[in-house]
Formats: sequence, C-alpha cells, structure tokens
Amino acid sequence: MSTFIQTLIVGLRLGSIYALVALGYTMVYGIIRLINFAHGDFIMVGGYTMIFTIPLALAMGLPAWTSVVFAILCCALVGMTTELVAYRPIRKKGTSMTALITAIAVSMLLENLAQAIPAIGPNPVVASQIFSTGGFSIAGVTMEWTTVSTIVISAVVMVVLYQFTQKTKLGRAMRCVSEDKEASILMGINVNRTIVLTFAIGSGLSAVAALMYMAQYPKVYTTMGMMLGLKAFVAAVLGGIGIIPGAMLGGLIIGLVESFTTSYVSSSMADTFVFLILIIVLIIKPAGILGKNVGEKV
Amino acid sequence: MKKKLACLLLAACMCLSLAACGGSGSAASATPAASDAAETPAAGGEITIGTISPNTGSLAAYGSAVTTAVDLAVEEINAAGGINGSQVKIVNADDQFDPTECLNAFNSLVSQGIGLIIGSVTSGCTSAITDAANEEQVCLLTPSATADSITTVDDYVFRACYADSFQGAIAAAYAKQSGYTEVGVVYCAADTYSKGLYDSFNTACEKYGVTVKAVESTASLDVQDYTNQFASMVKAGVEFVYAPYYYDVIGPYIVTQARAAGYKGIIMGADGYDSTPDYVVDGADLSVFNDVYWTNHYDPADTSDKVQSFVKAYEAKFGATPNAISALAYDAVYMYKQAIEKAASTDATAVRDALADTSAVYTGVTGTFSLDASGTPTKGASIISFTSEGTTVTTKLVDVVKELPQA
Repeated sequence: MSTFIQTLIVGLRLGSIYALVALGYTMVYGIIRLINFAHGDFIMVGGYTMIFTIPLALAMGLPAWTSVVFAILCCALVGMTTELVAYRPIRKKGTSMTALITAIAVSMLLENLAQAIPAIGPNPVVASQIFSTGGFSIAGVTMEWTTVSTIVISAVVMVVLYQFTQKTKLGRAMRCVSEDKEASILMGINVNRTIVLTFAIGSGLSAVAALMYMAQYPKVYTTMGMMLGLKAFVAAVLGGIGIIPGAMLGGLIIGLVESFTTSYVSSSMADTFVFLILIIVLIIKPAGILGKNVGEKV
Repeated sequence: MKKKLACLLLAACMCLSLAACGGSGSAASATPAASDAAETPAAGGEITIGTISPNTGSLAAYGSAVTTAVDLAVEEINAAGGINGSQVKIVNADDQFDPTECLNAFNSLVSQGIGLIIGSVTSGCTSAITDAANEEQVCLLTPSATADSITTVDDYVFRACYADSFQGAIAAAYAKQSGYTEVGVVYCAADTYSKGLYDSFNTACEKYGVTVKAVESTASLDVQDYTNQFASMVKAGVEFVYAPYYYDVIGPYIVTQARAAGYKGIIMGADGYDSTPDYVVDGADLSVFNDVYWTNHYDPADTSDKVQSFVKAYEAKFGATPNAISALAYDAVYMYKQAIEKAASTDATAVRDALADTSAVYTGVTGTFSLDASGTPTKGASIISFTSEGTTVTTKLVDVVKELPQA
C-alpha cells in the first residue's frame, strides 16, 4: 500500500509539472495553430532568472519562491518578443511549415544564446532550497512540503486559468480567435493583441512550472527544457491539443504512467511506456482524449 | 542509357576522389607526428601532447580538473628543463561529455599531427575513440576512464586509473566487510560507466557471498526522479545500495530523494561522486549526505610527501583542492614523460612500446604502480565518506585498500 501511495505522489508531482508546461503548448496551438517548440526553453529562461534573483529576494527578506515574480515577468517578455520578432512576420509571409521550423530555430537560439552568456555558460548549476524542508508522514509515506506545494500550486493555477478563459473578456477573446480569426475581427476583437497576450500568459506559466521543477529537481542547465518540453508536448497532444482541460489531463496521465511504470513494470522503461501510450491513443482517437473529431468541410 | 552511364562514371569518379581525400588526409596527419618524432628528439625542440576533456556540458567540473592539473604538471616539467631537453606544449580539445564530439576532438588533434593524447575523462567518451587511436596508431592515455573494455592487450590505449572490475569489487568487499549480506543496486542502464560498475559489483558480490537482492535502473542520465527506485530498495529491506552515478545526479537528486523515500541505509558509489560537495542544494537538510561512501583514486588529505607537494602546488596555483581527476591527469603527464624519456623519442609507436613495458614502475600522486599487460595500473583505492552537520558537505578518508581481499 505504501508503495502505491508513494508511486501516486511521485506521479502527481511529475504530472502537475508536465501539465503546467503542456498548458503553454496548448494555449499557443489553440490560438495560432503553431507548435511552439521554444516553450520548453522558456522554462530554462525562468530557471536561470530565479537562480539570479533568489539571492535578491533573500536579501530583501522575502522567501526564495517570491523570485518567481521576476521569472514570470522575464518569461512573459521573452515569449512576447518571440511572437513579435519571429512568429508574427513568418505567419504573415510563410506557411505553417515555415512557422514550425522557426519555432525549432528559436528553441536552438535560446539554448545556445544562454550558453554564450558568460554568467550562465554551459555548466549546470544547483538552485538553493526553495520551499521549507521537511514534511509529514501518512501511511508510512513521507510527504515533503515541496511535493505538497508543487501539487497544490499547479492545481490552483490550472483552475484559475480555466476560469479566466471562461469568464473574463480577454479569455473569451482568446477562445474566439482560436475558433475563427476572421469572425473575431468582425466582432471587434484585436486579434494581434490577443495573440501577444496569450504568449505572455503561456510563457508566464512556464515560469511557474520552472519554480516547481526547480524546487523538486534543483539542477538547472541550458538544455533542461528539451526533454521536459517534449514530454509536455506529448501530454498536450494526448489530452487533445488546443484544449485547456486536455493539457491538464494529459500531463497528469503522462506523470502517472511514468511513475507507475518505474515502480511496477521496469524502472528503465518509463519513457518507452509514455510514448507507447501516445501512439495507442492517437491510433484510437487521433484528436486526443478530449479532442473533438472535426470533419473536413467539403 | 548514355545519361545513366555518365551518371555512373561521375559517381565512380567522386568515390575515387573521396577515397583519395581520405587516404591523403590520414597520411598527412600521420606524417608530421612521425617526422616530429624522428627528427626532433634533440634538445631545444617542442613536444606537443594533446588533451581531450569535457570542458563544457554537464560534467564540466572534470574538464577544468584535467586542464588545470595538466597545466601544473607541464609548468613543472618545463621549469625543470622539459623532457629530454624539449619543452612540452599542450593542445586541448573539448568533448562536451558527448561521444560524437569526443571523436571530433580526437580527429582534430590527430589532424594537427599530434601522436600523444591524454583523454578522455569519461568511459562513455573514451570508448568512442579507442578504435580510432589504434587505427591511427596514436598513443591514448586516459587519466580516468575506468570501464574494463577501454584497454586491451596489444593496443595504443593505456590509463592512469584502475579499472571498474577492481572498483566495483572494492565496493562489494566493503559491503561484506561491514557486515551487509543483502544489498541493492540502482544504476543507469544506458551509460558505459554506470553499467560497467554494476556488472563488476554484481560479479564481486557473487564471489564474496553477498546477495544482490534488488536491482533498479534508469534509462538515461537525464532522469530526475529516483524516488520509486529507492522506495523499492526500502521494500526489499536492503540497507546497502550501490548507486554508480556522477556527481551532477548524486548531489541534487539521488541522495535527497533516497532519504525522502524512506531509505536510511548506506549509499555507496564510485569515483563519479568526486565534486559532489559543490553540487548540493544550499539551505537543504544536508545531513542526508551522512552514510554516503564512495571509492576514489586518492585522498587529498593523504600525508605522503608526493600527495602533499602536489596538493600544495595545485592550491597555490588555482586556489582549490585538486580532486582525483586532477591527480590522475597530473600523473598521466608524468607517465608520458617517463615513457618518452625511456623511448628517447616522441614517436607514437615508440612511446607505446615504452608504456607497454609492464616492468616500468611509475611513482605518482595516486600511488606507485606498474601497468598490467592490458595497460591498466595495478594500484589501491581509497574509500571516502561524506559527512555533514552544517551548511556544507565534507569528505573523510575511511580506508585505503591496496588489494582485493580473498573471497
């Protein structure tokens, strides 16, 4: 029983990080039909921002996690710049394929740019303790405060984001643009501004994901976003890309599958099962678990 | 039809010209090394030694360990009049802890006409260039690649460290000696170093009558969560786990997660644990690092003259205590010096023959040793532990093992 609970907790904390990252993929895809491969690298940007601002926060007498505010600002700025400098001009001139290649290029650019900055460099750094140490014990399993915070923060962020897209004016505008760009222009929605704001929110979320990732796995390095981004992308596709609850569901499923495979099947086959499940789900339901099969208009 | 024929002819031409390129390329790279050797053993010339190390990437701490120690050794040698009267020059290449990059680094050194190379640091990278070294007939002396498969009889590859079959066995012997009859292993199935150590630990356990009760693995060195692996160690009831990983995994991930998973016993590792104290989380509960043991090539606290003079010189020059990789790289330079002096030549094949002489005795920082027929030193290991009460992790010498105990 304690193994089961332990595995469940590990799965939930991995899953909630994947889910937050997947939200970024899904929001951007939903609105401009672009897989933003640079999204994983926004996490790296957030991670390094916190590495540099944690001492600042501590010096001001604030807890270490407050540095996430700087990270959110920095990531949002990087996200909006990427949209304005790289994606928007390409969208106007090129095809969706050129946009996709640009996304990969931006990802490479960010990774290598970070390496070229002397203060960052190619060597990994270890973050300081972010949440308080210790925890409590239930049924023979230790719940660390870090793990509890990870799961709770991610759940809160997801609920708030969902309510935001459902209830607020900007949220409604985002859903309109993703459904029909031309029609939303006719309705008086500023499409370009909505897209930029989507990028800002999606990238800001990656800073929150970076916070939780670093609290749990304190090593920060320039290519840290690669595998994390890939898994989150898989999560988004699994849940149905473009659908916000789908990203959450997909993220949690990937995390749990990974954890349960390590515990009960084979510890070195976790990734094998994650990608196997992706293939199976896509064969049965190509639009993802929550995706609707939209028939081709003739 | 005519078109096809033309195409074929053109293709054939291209193949030939490419082959010619390849041929002349390798010939060009071999000649300077050879001519260097034949013509300039006399005083006043320059001896160039190449080094390959992971200066960037996740194991960058090892890269700087090698480059600094080699600099120190070369400076000392040059100040004392060089080797056979020639000054020594170092050309360094970065392998980024990536086997492909390692081969590129090797090729770039060889194309500069370098026939004597020190490198690389890790088993994974070094195993990518051993075949090339034999093919190009270039002398390769790795300071710290411990995988058994690195050196074989009759080749151009040598090392300054002991092999994993010894290192893994030391850990197994230590487990037995400390009274653990049931042990567990967590290792990385995809890494030459980690897998090699697991194999040798496993074999030695059989020999010493220690049962390996639980084995868990990870599919890559990029995995961040080891909680489930250690939870199954707890479930299996073992109190001694062998976890051969590198410091960038041990420091931030494994030890903390193992303790959080409820594992309270001993965690034992190998020389990859060196540098861990620089990679722990500030402000975390560092007492988790108590009961972590590892085998190493030397201990900087060793009181012998050789070790102390090296440690003092290194600290004076670089302001830090040298780790084992540094000590091994330093020894590697002096091994080359001794071999070149013996061969009275810098020709790669002559130096190779000098190194292959199993009767030669090397007195280094990491011990006094000779190489066996495969080119691996026979020497002892230090068992070191981590201890922490406050905000830092420190190391403590537990035992020095000269040779393996009988079963």
